[in-house]
Amino acid sequence: MGNAQCNIVIVGGGSAGWLTAGILAAEYLHTPGIHITLIESSDISSIGVGEGTWPSMRTTLQRIGISETDLIRCCNASFKQGSLFRQWRNNDAQDLYHHPFSPPVAAAEFDIYPHWQPYQQQIDFAHAVSPQPRLIEAGLAPKQISTPEYAFVCNYGYHLDAGKFVELLRRHCTDKLAVRHIIDNVIAVHGQPDAPIRAVQTEQHGEISGELFIDCSGFAALLIEQHFKIGLHQQNKVLFNDTALAVQVPYTDPQQPIASATLSSARQAGWIWDIGLQNRRGVGYVYSSAHTSDEAAQQTLSKYIGEQGQDLSFRKIPIRSGYRQKLWHHNCVAIGLSAGFVEPLEASALVLIELSARFVAEQLPLKGTDLSLVRDRFNSTFAYRWQQIVDFLKLHYVLSSRDDSDYWQDNRQPDSIPDSLQHLLTFWQHNMPSRYDFPHAEEMFPSASFQYIYYGMGKHSQLTARQSIQRYQQRAQEEFRQTAQKARQLVSQLPGNRALIEKIQAHGLQTL
Amino acid sequence: MSQMKVESLNNIDHKDVRIDTTKGASLGDKVMLSMLTLPEFRTAQAYYPVVLHKNAQTGEFYPVALFGFEAEENLFLQGDQWQAGYIPLYQQRGPFLIGQSNGQRVIHINMQHPRVNLDKGEPLFLEYGGYSPYLEQLVSVLETLHQGVEMNNHFIAALLELNLIESFSLEVQLDNHAKHQLLGFYTVNEKNLSELSAEQLAGLNQQGYLEAIYMMLASQSQFAKLVAMKNAQLALT
Repeated sequence: MGNAQCNIVIVGGGSAGWLTAGILAAEYLHTPGIHITLIESSDISSIGVGEGTWPSMRTTLQRIGISETDLIRCCNASFKQGSLFRQWRNNDAQDLYHHPFSPPVAAAEFDIYPHWQPYQQQIDFAHAVSPQPRLIEAGLAPKQISTPEYAFVCNYGYHLDAGKFVELLRRHCTDKLAVRHIIDNVIAVHGQPDAPIRAVQTEQHGEISGELFIDCSGFAALLIEQHFKIGLHQQNKVLFNDTALAVQVPYTDPQQPIASATLSSARQAGWIWDIGLQNRRGVGYVYSSAHTSDEAAQQTLSKYIGEQGQDLSFRKIPIRSGYRQKLWHHNCVAIGLSAGFVEPLEASALVLIELSARFVAEQLPLKGTDLSLVRDRFNSTFAYRWQQIVDFLKLHYVLSSRDDSDYWQDNRQPDSIPDSLQHLLTFWQHNMPSRYDFPHAEEMFPSASFQYIYYGMGKHSQLTARQSIQRYQQRAQEEFRQTAQKARQLVSQLPGNRALIEKIQAHGLQTL
Repeated sequence: MSQMKVESLNNIDHKDVRIDTTKGASLGDKVMLSMLTLPEFRTAQAYYPVVLHKNAQTGEFYPVALFGFEAEENLFLQGDQWQAGYIPLYQQRGPFLIGQSNGQRVIHINMQHPRVNLDKGEPLFLEYGGYSPYLEQLVSVLETLHQGVEMNNHFIAALLELNLIESFSLEVQLDNHAKHQLLGFYTVNEKNLSELSAEQLAGLNQQGYLEAIYMMLASQSQFAKLVAMKNAQLALT
């Protein structure tokens, strides 16, 4: 690509387009010769349901230069400390477990799981190894008003209104980061099918040429699919859910507490998400149309919402699980829904956009290096990440002992389980999920996440006594004691999720 | 002072109220810090470290004078003596607060404050309902405080704007080898201060902020005195 001019053209203006624009523009703001253009159609509305982010979003926004106070004030955002899974194990009323954002205590030094095993009847894994589940159950925020922007007492991400988030990003990118914004429709792609894209043709702004094109055009996949004909690795044989019913549920009382975790409740043919924003909840049922009818799904969702569910209008969204066979082809990178989609069980959509855009921002050759080397690395890294997400989501289903429908039984059929996951499941019968399973420096889901799900779902590993475990026996007891103490202390110190948001609305957060 | 019973001050309900103005731990003087207003910096820095702290309710910065290293420690308080030539106005105001009534500023009194009683100290009202000299003086203290808080807010905004605030932690090793760590306080970022342009410095100077900044920096020498006072107190016990 040399050190001359480089025009990066982003096609599509949803969360994927604007997040990518922000990440690239912040990286290249002071690099002469690199120009970022985003072409956004005025006709297409983005798929905005209430969305969950990972803690990575804090770093991302800080890099882009957006203040956390603005995020909270502009996007109806609230604090998210993890996910709370209900009725996933066995459908009992008490059936719940946590996947908090903070890793198990001392995880950097040793695995505490074997030391918890003797206490499994008294306390569940997540409560034993992290103070965060207690905070989530008490509806508390992960920080105080005196905690600076993006700093935490307990690790956190956000729930936010994706539509408003896009508006905030768009304003910031065009006002502060010199992103060129074109509102127009892309009507043609210039370039041979087996060669780099030269330019895209717009209705009113003529040809927009560039050296790198980023396809953020959503399910339409204008460049990667319509032009380059790159298909999907379908995942519907693994992840059965193919439909979502989404609904916005207003709070009945403006002071109603805001949950500080995504609530995920399993049902007969899928699961229901429940995301608390400042002004409303975003609720939806993701299900397999092969295992239930739309009418039955509507009833399931109405029943979950309760009385209010009668008057609300549901929006039906088809889901196609899978990811691009090639994510970066010639000079075109697919980021966002054009790259692929899986059900939002672990809120992987936004974080994949962040990771993809950051990879492009940091690895794009500015001089010398051949683009194809970076492209190949990108493709192998993200193919691995997508497959890991698929495995991780499937893990939630295969460990369930629910027997109340074909859906749950079918989900445990061996032929629906990817080999990579089956291999891990066999291994974990006698070993803990550990960093040996996930050796990459930047794993989407570290072994801690697998531990929270695996042990949260009630599975166990039959470990052999080893010195590497025994060595930490005493230390582990001390960690359990301190975790319980810290949980009590934090419960008395931290404000409610809504209370903190109201304070930020009134006073803002300090930057230090 | 955990309990508050705040009433709007008037010469009927509070005709016989007196304010105990002596010093003492039981009278609300056992505090580790007091809010300080900008015009007080020059006088206060001769006795106390002047630093910034965050309001626990709003997270916003405000200036304080430090009296000790931990909650409820006032090293300047010895029996009924406050061993310093100046006591911050906020501490002097005792049970009184400024409140709002129909858009007007009015004086409120916290009847639960330990200085409030009926037998001892300064009366609030004269025989026929007029303000006592003590109350007259307090009205001016409250007025000065009210204006001072406004000035503080502008001062803090200017410091934030120029990136002049930094957190510091102070680890104090005492003669008996005990360690105290002072956390949650902030001061002027000297590096950023030294990199300001002539124009920025002139702006700070015109508003009187440059003086306040240097008063804060100069007051850091009072930490040594605070440590000495702590050691002296330990030697006695």
